[in-house]
Amino acid sequence: MRLSLFLLSGSIVLASAAPVFAHHGWGGNVDEVTAMTGMVTEGVKLAGPHGTMRIKTTDGKVWDITLAPPFRTSSAGLKQDTIPLGAMVTVHGQRNRDPNRYEMKTIQVEYAGRHYTVYPEFADKVR
Amino acid sequence: MGWLEGSALGHLMRDNGVWFYGIVNLTHILGVATLFGAVVILDLRLLGMWADVPLAGISRPTQRMAAAGFCVAAVSGAGLLATKATDYIGNPFFYIKIPAIGLALLNVALVHFTPAWRAHRLRELSVHERRQLAAMGGTSLLFWLTSIGAGRLIGYW
Repeated sequence: MRLSLFLLSGSIVLASAAPVFAHHGWGGNVDEVTAMTGMVTEGVKLAGPHGTMRIKTTDGKVWDITLAPPFRTSSAGLKQDTIPLGAMVTVHGQRNRDPNRYEMKTIQVEYAGRHYTVYPEFADKVR
Repeated sequence: MGWLEGSALGHLMRDNGVWFYGIVNLTHILGVATLFGAVVILDLRLLGMWADVPLAGISRPTQRMAAAGFCVAAVSGAGLLATKATDYIGNPFFYIKIPAIGLALLNVALVHFTPAWRAHRLRELSVHERRQLAAMGGTSLLFWLTSIGAGRLIGYW
């Protein structure tokens, strides 16, 4: 009796957590893939759960560029020293659902004629 | 936060390859699991489950495992935070998590100063004393669950 009660409460907790798991990843970003060009103000960092970078677009907005997890970003050829500060890059990805948050989950970074596709499985969404 | 990010710990976290953060993250989860696994058993015992098992037999191993788990979680957690500490500014879940940990630790201190807890290895506790410890056990569960829940949700803000 007690055991079944315990299992029941456990499954309730898990069930209520399920939408949260589903949200992690791309749920907080729009479906549409867009491109934008800007100047790198903070270089690629391969630390933390995802690689990151900051770019400034021509309208003066500073965007947080979220890349793939460090290993995958690095495997795509994008290392911490690949793109110098001040370089112009074009990023393809899905921007945050919140229009006031300048954050993009990035599929591909274009720099100096090279394409770094950090999420190859979503490459077909680019253009 | 800027100071923490620029600290030696922050550099250690960022400059050690693409798997370092992930391994520290794993360590943090193991610490939290050890802490909460022990806490849930002790707190449920205080709340009246397994009343046939002597409290003194449960309190010793669970306290030690909880303390060990907390140390592992705290050290690894400081590292995770230091990686990009300024990112956590304005994250409401972070502002819930840290005070909840503080309150949970305060509750631990209160339990240890309670005469009922001090006496539980020496004699049978009265009904009043058991109720008092049960309330503290419930409080403990609430605070730890709040801190773990908020901690898990930090990444979803």
